[in-house]
Amino acid sequence: MDPLRIAMICDFFHPNVGGVENHIYMLSAELIRRGHKVVVITHSHPPDRVGVRWILPGLKVYYIPFPTIASSATLPNFFTFLPYLRSILLRERITLVHGHASLSSLAHEGILHAHHMGVRTVFTDHSLFGFDDAASILTNKLLEGALCNVDGVICVSHTGRENTVLRAGYRFESKSAEVSSKRKFDPTIWHVIPNALVTEKFKPTLDRVADNTVTVVVLSRLAYRKGIDLLVATAPRICELFPNVRFVIGGDGPKLIDLLQMREKYLLQDQIILRGPVRHSDVRSVLAEGSIFLNTSLTESFGIAILEAACAGLYVVSTRVGGVPEVLPADMISFAHPEEDDVIRAMSEAIKIVSEGRHDPLSAHERVKSFYNWRDVAERTEHVYAGVMNSVPMTLYERIQRNLELGPYFGLIFVVILVVDCFFFQILEWTMPREDIDYVEFDWEQEKFEKVAREETMQAQEESSQRDSRDSDGGVRGF
Amino acid sequence: MSSREWEKVLWKKHPYPDNYIPHTFLSSLRKNTNFKPYTYWPLVLAACSITQHLSTVFIFLATFIRIYDGSWDPRYLVWSSVAIFLLGYVIWEVLEYKTLGYLVKHADRAKTFKSSILVFLALMALSPVLRTLTAATSSDSIWALAACLFILNVLLADYGSLRPYGHTRDRLTSVLSMNAAISSSVVLASRLRDDLSVFALILFSVQLFALYPLVRTRLQVTDAFTYASITIFLPALSIYLHSSPTNIITLILGIVLVFITFVAPALLLWAQSYKNEIRGPWDVAVPQINTADH
Repeated sequence: MDPLRIAMICDFFHPNVGGVENHIYMLSAELIRRGHKVVVITHSHPPDRVGVRWILPGLKVYYIPFPTIASSATLPNFFTFLPYLRSILLRERITLVHGHASLSSLAHEGILHAHHMGVRTVFTDHSLFGFDDAASILTNKLLEGALCNVDGVICVSHTGRENTVLRAGYRFESKSAEVSSKRKFDPTIWHVIPNALVTEKFKPTLDRVADNTVTVVVLSRLAYRKGIDLLVATAPRICELFPNVRFVIGGDGPKLIDLLQMREKYLLQDQIILRGPVRHSDVRSVLAEGSIFLNTSLTESFGIAILEAACAGLYVVSTRVGGVPEVLPADMISFAHPEEDDVIRAMSEAIKIVSEGRHDPLSAHERVKSFYNWRDVAERTEHVYAGVMNSVPMTLYERIQRNLELGPYFGLIFVVILVVDCFFFQILEWTMPREDIDYVEFDWEQEKFEKVAREETMQAQEESSQRDSRDSDGGVRGF
Repeated sequence: MSSREWEKVLWKKHPYPDNYIPHTFLSSLRKNTNFKPYTYWPLVLAACSITQHLSTVFIFLATFIRIYDGSWDPRYLVWSSVAIFLLGYVIWEVLEYKTLGYLVKHADRAKTFKSSILVFLALMALSPVLRTLTAATSSDSIWALAACLFILNVLLADYGSLRPYGHTRDRLTSVLSMNAAISSSVVLASRLRDDLSVFALILFSVQLFALYPLVRTRLQVTDAFTYASITIFLPALSIYLHSSPTNIITLILGIVLVFITFVAPALLLWAQSYKNEIRGPWDVAVPQINTADH
């Protein structure tokens, strides 16, 4: 397909670390490799991460000076992003905006504003939300508003797609999608493209010492949603049932204290090892210690940690929640219901499989390698882009109609926002005319960069060798 | 397109496009799983505790007005408070016997009487202080303050019933509610002329706002008939006591009480038909942990 100029918009990006951040980076890198031009727009991290930065391989990142409210998310304010976005989209000649994460108000705003400049929109949802708590109700409403303006949606799992369709406010009379919903539901824009991982980074270790110890690795944020209560309840029972089992637990969080208390109470200091926070670059080395990976999460939209563990050759035991059952074939993972007794049953099964040698780490690695890779993800995303670019854009009237369908009150509020946004855009066109914008004339060229880099290093080597020879002659030192 | 069946998995390469929506789409969606349809009369019975509470507030206000304008002798109020207390205590013991199955121990009974006599004497000793507590404040501020405190009391009161065999701890809101009512009666009592009136009014308020809710929560679970008849008696008394000063208040009070007892449950029933609770695999699971062996 023709090279596109894509702007990834998300509140969550490097220097923060996490699943969404990594997804955006890997996808952008792969799209650049495929000949597209990608920029990332995110909020700044004062004092030092501000302005425009370049990240390898030629990814330009705009850090917009917006303050954050909580967990690196900005306040949804609908209009303040427009001046920045307009300048960036125009000067970079962007043709497609790709927003990420439903808690990112920057992404929502990007989708709201993009149509002024004739830019098409795609949105990726990475998480699952319920419907019954105040926070979910509010964020789901915002998502509903954003998604009625979007041209394409990508979800990371089938369960995630079902969840996002419901959160976008579509209600079906019957359980089947073919039956009409109250609002017009266009099934062609809803895609499922899974995450991927860099399989080379998670190679199984081969030089494991042959003894009968079975090491169980747990790597997660130690929070309620990750099911640490289940871990606290089951770990002592498993240690009692299987004296040859050792737990290695990595991560930090509010539930750490519960784990420490449990270890103290049952005197399991030599069977349960707490590693504290583990950096993403050290994940492999922790995974390499074990042969079983235990995930007790209570909700999970994709479960990249499970995949990383499976790729590193570990047998996986996980709770059957969210999108987890879709991620791996049944012979690589044991499922448990989120109940204490069932987790113990699944763990006993896994310990038996592993200690009998029925799980081959190398073949598991090869299989995961064949399932997931970023090139595949980028290719499938490209298809979504192509579909969006070929579709007919919505007219403003159509947008207003779709916003009105959101509901008697909420729809009206969104129509007002949309119309005010149009006026705001016209004011910007007048005060900051397009011809005054500083357009980007030169793009990143990898070959040129490599050439320059090679020349520079050669020059530096020459200089240093000259200096060395001068030094050995007893010449003048120091610059 | 090949004949291979679509599967809900991500790891398998299948020939379907990424935006293919299978016929099983949203098949794991559950609607209104924990749905318990209400019926009208149990709701009315549950609403009775709100009616009773409102009635006690208005009975208290009527009593205050009568003491304030001097039409009632505070001595009668003291005696009737004592009588209500004794009667209430007998009822409470009967209810305890009914729910727990054994009589209250003699020592406990003595303890109750000792502490009630202590409260009685303490209130009597404090009444001169309480009488002059807000002497420097104008009456208008006191009315406004008392109204606010009573509204707070009504909003925060615990209208639930006592779980059988479960002595649940008082929640913070119900404690706050009781405190608001007692403070309100203290500030109102500080408007009265003599110490005896102050003492009588506060004693009465303790009966109504501190002790009666204890009896009410027990009554609610044991005997629906007695409960309903008390619910008829208390609002009737409150309306009767208010009927003499001004008619408009009687009217408003009557309408509010009827609305809360009969119309509000019907509204809730009607609103329940719009209930649409969505559950599915994306919900945060509730971990089930055996508590017995921990």
